[in-house]
Amino acid sequence: MIKPVSNIIEAKLRECLPESVFRELTNSYLEEPRGRHFGIEGLLLTPDNTNDVARIVRICSEHNIGIVPYGGGTGLVGGQIMPDGPKPVILSLERMNMVRDVWLSENIMIAEAGVILKDIQDLADSSERIFPLSLASEGSARIGGNLATNAGGVNVVRYGNTRDLCLGIEAVLPDGRIFNGLSRLRKDNTGYDLNNLFIGSEGTLGIITAASLKLFPKPKNEASAFFVVKDPRAAIELFSLCRDRLGTDLSAFELISCVGLQFLKEVGPDVILPFSYEPQWMVLLDVGCHQGTLSQEVLEVLFEDAYDRDLVMDGVISQSIQQRDDFWKVRESIPEANHRTGAISSSDLSVPIGMIPEFISRAEQRLSEIGEFRINCFGHVGDGNIHYNVFPLPGESRSDRDHDRKKVKKILYDIVSNMDGSFSAEHGIGRLKTNELSLYSDPTKLALMKSIKGALDPKGIMNPGVILKIE
Amino acid sequence: MKVIVPVKRVIDYNVKVRVKADGSGVDLTNVKMSMNPFDEIAVEEAIRLREAEKVTEVIAVSIGVKQNQETLRTALAMGADRAILVIASEDVHQDIEPLTVAKLLKEIATEEAANLVLCGKQAIDNDMNATGQMLSALLGWSQATFASELNIEAKNAVVTREVDGGLQSIKVSLPSVITVDLRLNQPRYASLPNIMKAKRKQLDEKVPSDYGVDLTARLSIINTREPETRKAGVKVASVDELLVKLKEEAGVI
Ligand SMILES: Cc1cc2nc3c(=O)[nH]c(=O)nc-3n(C[C@H](O)[C@H](O)[C@H](O)COP(=O)(O)OP(=O)(O)OC[C@H]3O[C@@H](n4cnc5c(N)ncnc54)[C@H](O)[C@@H]3O)c2cc1C
Repeated sequence: MIKPVSNIIEAKLRECLPESVFRELTNSYLEEPRGRHFGIEGLLLTPDNTNDVARIVRICSEHNIGIVPYGGGTGLVGGQIMPDGPKPVILSLERMNMVRDVWLSENIMIAEAGVILKDIQDLADSSERIFPLSLASEGSARIGGNLATNAGGVNVVRYGNTRDLCLGIEAVLPDGRIFNGLSRLRKDNTGYDLNNLFIGSEGTLGIITAASLKLFPKPKNEASAFFVVKDPRAAIELFSLCRDRLGTDLSAFELISCVGLQFLKEVGPDVILPFSYEPQWMVLLDVGCHQGTLSQEVLEVLFEDAYDRDLVMDGVISQSIQQRDDFWKVRESIPEANHRTGAISSSDLSVPIGMIPEFISRAEQRLSEIGEFRINCFGHVGDGNIHYNVFPLPGESRSDRDHDRKKVKKILYDIVSNMDGSFSAEHGIGRLKTNELSLYSDPTKLALMKSIKGALDPKGIMNPGVILKIE
Repeated sequence: MKVIVPVKRVIDYNVKVRVKADGSGVDLTNVKMSMNPFDEIAVEEAIRLREAEKVTEVIAVSIGVKQNQETLRTALAMGADRAILVIASEDVHQDIEPLTVAKLLKEIATEEAANLVLCGKQAIDNDMNATGQMLSALLGWSQATFASELNIEAKNAVVTREVDGGLQSIKVSLPSVITVDLRLNQPRYASLPNIMKAKRKQLDEKVPSDYGVDLTARLSIINTREPETRKAGVKVASVDELLVKLKEEAGVI
C-alpha cells in the first residue's frame, strides 16, 4: 500500500539531503498544458545530482511513498501530475541541468535529465551539429521528460523518435540502485536492451537522470515549403514521391487542414498565413541537404514533378531563414489555436501510412452519423501519425457537447484498432489513457508489462497510476 | 508606366555574422544569402501597383555576382515581369559602392524609359542608406524616402514617411525615386507555380561596360570588427545590494 509523505518522512529526507533540495511547491507543478486536470499537493524535491536522487528514492521505497517524476511539465497525458491518492513526493529534475560531456568527433552529448530540450539543440547548433528532436514544447520540456515519454515531434520522418536518438541512459531504480547505461557505444549486443525499457516508461520503472544522446551533422542548407494538395490521398502519394526523390533529405512532412487555418484566423496566435485563401489541405515540407545540393532547388523540382502528376495545385517556398521560421510558426501555433477554440476530444493516433486517407474519410463519415462537428485533423502524416481534434460548432461551447466525448473517442479508437493502428502514437498513456490501454491492448502484451512493472517496482511507488492502473 | 526595383543579395538577416580574421570584412563563404528585406518590400509594392493597374511592368534589377540570379528569380517568383542582372564582380565579398550602383541604375532607368524606381531604404549588410538618394540626384528626379504608405496618382506620388515623432505626408511629382520602409507592406511568398513560370521569364545578363560605368572604388574599408560582447549580468537579492553594487562596483552613483 502506498502511504502519504508525512512530516516524519520529510524530516528523514532533510537529514540526508542539502537544504537546496527542498523548494516551495507552486501551482505550476500541479497543472498541465491543457488546463483540464490538476494534481494534488506533494512534497517537492529538486535534487541536483544522481546520488541525491538515489537517496530520495531509497527512503521513499523504505516507507512506501509514491514518487511523481517531473520534467518540464509539458506532457499531454497527465503523467506528471497525480490527481488523487496519498500525498506523493514530486521529484523535479530541473536542477540536474548539466551537460556532462560532449564528444564532437563521435557526435555524442551526455546530458542530465533536467536540461531543457532547446538548450540541447542550441548547444549542438553552436558546434555545427544538430540534436534533431523538435516539438512545439521544446522551450520548456526537459530531455528526461522527452525520454520518459519517447517523444516524437516533427523530425521523426528523418531521424526517428527520442528512442532512436539515445545511446543509453542512467537511471535510479525504484529501490534506489543506480543503473549506469550511459554508453558511447553504437554497437553493444550484450543481452536485453535495458535502456529501451526505461525510455517510454513514463516514470513508472525508475527515474532517468542522464542520457547519452546522438548528435547529427547539420544540413548545409535547409528550406521549407507549403504544397497545396487536393486531399489526404494526394498528400500520401506526394509523401511517397518525396521518399523516392529526396531519400533522407526530407526532414519533415506535416499535414494541415483548412480548419486549422480558420482557427488561427478566428482566435490566433497571430501568424502570417501562406496563401491569400485557405486551402482545404496542405502539406508543410522541410528539406535539409548536405554538400552540393540546394534545398530550394530540390523543392522546386519536386513541385514540378508533383504538379505534372496532378498531386499539387499550388505552393510557396521559403526564400530566407525568416520565411522558413514563419512557415513553421503556422504549424506550431495550431495546437494553441486548438486550445483556444476548445476541443470536445483530441486524439493522437497512428495507422499504417497508406491507410491515412481511408482513416480520415471513415472517421468523418462515422462522426457525421452522431452529430455535426468541426474537425481539425493535422500532424505528422509522414509517420502515419495524426492529431485528430473534434470541436463544437461555432456558437457552441465545449461543455455543450460534453456528452459526445465518449462516443467520439470510441468511434475513433475503434476505427484505429480495426486498422491495426495506435490510439496513442507519441504522447503516451499517462493517467488519462489507462482505460484505453487495457481495452485495446493484446492481453499477452498487458501481462508482460505487468510482470516487468512487478519485477522492477514491486511496491508500486514509481508514478502510481501511470500506464497500468493501480490494482 | 514601368517601374524599376533594384534588389540586393545580402547575408541572410538571421545568420550570425562572422567577421573575417584579418578584419577585411564579413565572412560570406558558405553563408545563407537572401534578398535584402527592404527590397522584398519594394518588390511587393511594385507588384501591387501593377495589380492595381497603376504600372504596366515591373523590372527587377540586381548588381553583383552571378549568383544574384537566385535573388532575381525570387523577385520573378513573387511576380516581377522580367529581370536584369549586371555582373559586376566575381567575388561575393566585394561590395559595389552606392554611387556605382546608382550610376548603373540611372543608365538602366533611362534605357528602359521607366518612370518610377522603388527601392529599399537601405541594405542590411552595410546600412549605407544612400543609393536611392544618389540615384534621384543623378536622374534629376524627385525623391521620397522611408515610405510607409504610397499612393500613385496621375502625375504625382503621395508618400507617407516615418519621421522622428510621427508621420509626414508629402507629394512628389513623377518620375520619382521612392525608398521604402519596413511597415509599407507584408511581402508575399514566392509561389511555386510562379517559380515554374519564372524559369521562362526573361533574365538579361549585362556587365558594367555595357552601360559605360567604371567600377573603380572610391571608398576603402579600413577595418571591420565585432561589437564588444556584453558582459554577463548578475542577479541581486535586494535593492540595498543593488545600491551597493552601483556605488562601489559600477561607480555610477
Ligand atoms: C505545445 C505542445 C506540443 C507538443 N508536441 C509534441 C509532439 O509533437 N510530439 C510529442 O511526442 N509530444 C509532444 N508534446 C508532449 C511531449 O510529451 C512533452 O512535450 C515532452 O516530451 C515531455 O517532457 P517534459 O519534460 O515536459 O515531461 P513532463 O511533462 O514533466 O513529464 C512527462 C512524463 O514523463 C515523466 N518524467 C519526466 N521526467 C522524467 C525523468 N527524468 N525520469 C522518469 N520519468 C520522467 C513524468 O512523470 C511524466 O509521466 C507536446 C506538448 C505540448 C505542450
